[in-house]
Amino acid sequence: MSPRWRKVWRDLTGHRFRTLLVVLSIAVGIFAITVVMGGRGILLREFEAVYAESMAPTITFDVDAADSSVVRAVERVEGVRMAEGRRTFPVRFTGGEQPRGVLSAGWDTLQVHAVANIATARIERTTLEAGRSWPPGAGEVLLERSVNMMSEYEPGDVITVETASGTRATLNVVGLVHDINAFPAHFVAGPTGYVSMETLRMLDEPDYFSTILAVAEGEPTQAEASRLAMSIRDDVLISRGVRVMRTSVPEPGSHFLGDIFRGVSLLLLALGVLSLFLSGFLVVTTVQAIMSQQVSQVGIMKAIGGRADQVTWMYLVMVTVYGLFAVVVGMPAGAAAGRWFTGFAADLLNFRVTSYAPPAYVVALGVAVGIAVPLLAAIVPVRAGTRISVVKALNATGMSGTSFGHGLIDRALGLLRGLPRPVALSLRNTFLRKGRLALTLITLTLASAVVMSVMSVRTSILATVDEVDMWRFDAQFYFALPQSAEAVDRIASRVEGVVAVSSMPEYRAVLSRADGSESDGIDIIGVVPESDFVAPRVTAGRWLEPTDASAIVLNSDVVKSEPELAVGTNATFNLLGEERDFEVVGVVTAGLMGPVAFTPSGYLDSLAGGTGAVTRLQVRTPTSEPTEQMRVARLVEQRLEERSVPVAFTQTQSEQRDQVASQLGILVTFLAIMGVILSVVGVIGLTGTMTINVLESTREIGVMRAIGASHGSIYQIFVTEGVVIALIAWALGALISYPMSFLLLDMLETAMGLPLTFEYSWAGVGIWLVAVVVIAVGASLLPAFRAAQVSVRDAIAYE
Amino acid sequence: MSTPADMSDAVIDLRGVVKVYDTGEVPFTALKGVDLTVRSGEFVGLVGKSGSGKTTLINMITGIDHPTEGEVNVGGTPVHALNENQLAMWRGRTIGVVFQFFQLLPTLTVIENVMLPMDFCNMYASAERPERAMHLLEQVEMADQAFKLPSALSGGQQQRVAIARALANDPPILAADEPTGNLDSKTADAVFRLFEELVDAHKTIVMVTHDSDIAARVRRALVVSDGEIVEETVHRPRTERRGI
Ligand SMILES: Nc1ncnc2c1ncn2[C@@H]1O[C@H](COP(=O)(O)OP(=O)(O)OP(=O)(O)O)[C@@H](O)[C@H]1O
Ligand SMILES: [Mg+2]
Repeated sequence: MSPRWRKVWRDLTGHRFRTLLVVLSIAVGIFAITVVMGGRGILLREFEAVYAESMAPTITFDVDAADSSVVRAVERVEGVRMAEGRRTFPVRFTGGEQPRGVLSAGWDTLQVHAVANIATARIERTTLEAGRSWPPGAGEVLLERSVNMMSEYEPGDVITVETASGTRATLNVVGLVHDINAFPAHFVAGPTGYVSMETLRMLDEPDYFSTILAVAEGEPTQAEASRLAMSIRDDVLISRGVRVMRTSVPEPGSHFLGDIFRGVSLLLLALGVLSLFLSGFLVVTTVQAIMSQQVSQVGIMKAIGGRADQVTWMYLVMVTVYGLFAVVVGMPAGAAAGRWFTGFAADLLNFRVTSYAPPAYVVALGVAVGIAVPLLAAIVPVRAGTRISVVKALNATGMSGTSFGHGLIDRALGLLRGLPRPVALSLRNTFLRKGRLALTLITLTLASAVVMSVMSVRTSILATVDEVDMWRFDAQFYFALPQSAEAVDRIASRVEGVVAVSSMPEYRAVLSRADGSESDGIDIIGVVPESDFVAPRVTAGRWLEPTDASAIVLNSDVVKSEPELAVGTNATFNLLGEERDFEVVGVVTAGLMGPVAFTPSGYLDSLAGGTGAVTRLQVRTPTSEPTEQMRVARLVEQRLEERSVPVAFTQTQSEQRDQVASQLGILVTFLAIMGVILSVVGVIGLTGTMTINVLESTREIGVMRAIGASHGSIYQIFVTEGVVIALIAWALGALISYPMSFLLLDMLETAMGLPLTFEYSWAGVGIWLVAVVVIAVGASLLPAFRAAQVSVRDAIAYE
Repeated sequence: MSTPADMSDAVIDLRGVVKVYDTGEVPFTALKGVDLTVRSGEFVGLVGKSGSGKTTLINMITGIDHPTEGEVNVGGTPVHALNENQLAMWRGRTIGVVFQFFQLLPTLTVIENVMLPMDFCNMYASAERPERAMHLLEQVEMADQAFKLPSALSGGQQQRVAIARALANDPPILAADEPTGNLDSKTADAVFRLFEELVDAHKTIVMVTHDSDIAARVRRALVVSDGEIVEETVHRPRTERRGI
């Protein structure tokens, strides 16, 4: 090896600590990108793959009764690729074999799918994850695997189910399946189960289909799919005497978790881009610092005949080696963390991951950040070093500080008299290396801004959860069949612990559009306008008034899918088999309820024939403590069941809140993970800068030691420097985080189609202040330790 | 006045060289129009008070720094007109430089430091280089320390290695800025005698020195003061003096 390559080799191997630091700084950047961008890439790719493979239906019809001949007729329609029927209905269930006498109060809801042969189903395909019997036989049930996010079930377990009509049966759990088209159990507080048609007889359920699933040929647009759905409904189903309750044509290819998914993916993309910048700055800072240390050596080499290109190559090779090491360290670490992260996300969103390999573009990005960015970063100082005159390069050694005394910052520092001398000295040190300071500040400021924004987005999401619910109940009960309002109110209000009751009618309707087409189902709920059980947040027009009759208030989800509906317009709904006209008087926030509309309960009841029937009951308890809500809810449920009022579904306010929170909570969790990753980048960045500052100040430290500085004051100097840098980054980051979190939230809103309440997290600013000081002290301790080790001899060794 | 004949063997020729530093608060003129001609084989000493401009002047000759005004011709090359890259190549083969401070690369051993200029300028076959470097180190009596790192050497030892490195490519000119400044009188004398031998071997040497003893022993001593050459002393040739 020739002397100049030997120099490169020695610089790399001789300064192991420095090499480690540089490699680590670059690696952490690669790591962040591989985790964030890789995680996003894997998530999108695998979700797409699993979802495409599941063969989601283009059209879903909810019908009263249909047999295989109807399904075959649907399948024969031109434009339909395939059609299948199944029976879906909710039952209440609990683990173990329950004796007759035990009431079903407090049991969970199981959404049962009865399918002829789930193993060969062509639509909404499921995958067997664990189990023996596939497809399940009579008396056997397969559970959707997300049930385990609620409580553990495994093949061999037994469950007891009770249908709406009161029939009970014991079913053997014979396996766990994954169904990407089923709502994850933890999202809707109820799992999905799959049985064969034979099992229906055991449950006293008729064995005809209640759902017809159809997959269209090719890739139709939603409008085309809607037209197809209309023609099937009118020409095939209705003409065969099948009553169609609901026709659902989701946007083709969009999963029901699509909104959350888009939200997560967008956040990851935004944070990925930010961490790309962050890593870029970190890498540039580190490489430039290393280079600036070499300037005088560049001067020597040029003075003794080294050509610019020769010297440049030496450093570019050196930086490439740093980059290669960083890729070798950062890429696998990032891939491993990405694997964990994706697995975590896959569990939460309930989809399978078949390959954890990061997408090629992420690998390319990682390599680019690991090698190309350091090279680019090195070119500037190397070229500067090789282009400046030798005399300048040589003068770069010795005591720094030639430029001190100029500039605003310096003058400002001059004003801060009365500071302890070591502190003044470290501040002077901090501002001496202005270029470095700028780069370090940009890196740390960016990290701080992102962490604080992430905390604000989190706070905003939680605030949204709190404001989401327009109901003011402690527990609510849904009835499978309409019940007498008078009866349920009387039963409930006699229950100990119930202080107020409110019951309401609620009917599924469809909007008849001007062009003759129909909307998806919209629930019309009858409310007492002045009731204190509702606290609507009106965004346009007004809330209902006691004198209103055919007035209707829509929630923003309705307006979003039916934009022609505005305050003052008329809306025609197909409700209970008849077309009814309503005047739109207001719009309220959606509150994660899906498309819902409100009309005075008296008016709705009169439309339904004045029977006084209700389908939902809400009660209030003296406290909104979750256990108290639960206790009273169980009591009410029990009392209703005893009086032969079957309850289909019970929910306390805190359960509902938890459910909403768990969906948005996924975002919060992702944000928290990202915050941690970015903080790590910040910590390593600051440690790196501090260490380089120590390396560069070796001579100064030596001189200070020579004139009597103690270990303590050396520590004080470097820790103060680190803390000052961190505090500036914190302050600047806090300023940036306000608009940044606003922007992030805005993007999230657009991506998820969900209005979120912006709430800036002042607590986050405070927490990060504490964190940043701790980080700064931590990040400066190691460099300060090294600084304290510098001997006078080392410092003045070669000059 | 220089005659045309003088001009023909002038290896260093400075005309009206002005150097203004504007790095400080106010621009500072360190050289105020210096004219200097050095003929081949001359041994020139630059003396003068600290801050008078000696380093600045020698940096003009080596091309380490650029003149603000004026021309610098060394070995027929217009140094002031070369760019940094051309300068580096030219310097590597033409001028050996010894700095006021010892400028060895800290991560290379003594012998590697000496081989570095050969490597950069691609002089001598690679197999030949260690042998040649060793030979140069022998000349400065540093051969026994060849495989040490510079940090393990004393100041004077480092200075001698720097001289060996300056001679690596066998340049016709040697420019040394206080090469004996950090040395004891005995070592300084050894270095000076080494320089004398180099002059005998037809090298041209320009050397800055504070040491009046040494200044008195060079053939031609120039006194620099406030950025100007104010006095010139030409001693009798060494051979004649020895004859006394
Ligand atoms: N980079 C610079 N910027 C501004 N002024 C400079 C610079 N370098 C040198 N000077 C000034 O130019 C003058 C000549 O400096 P020079 O280094 O040539 O002196 P010198 O004769 O070599 O001194 P010494 O014997 O102490 O080495 C000095 O007054 C010095 O202050
Ligand atoms: Mg000098």
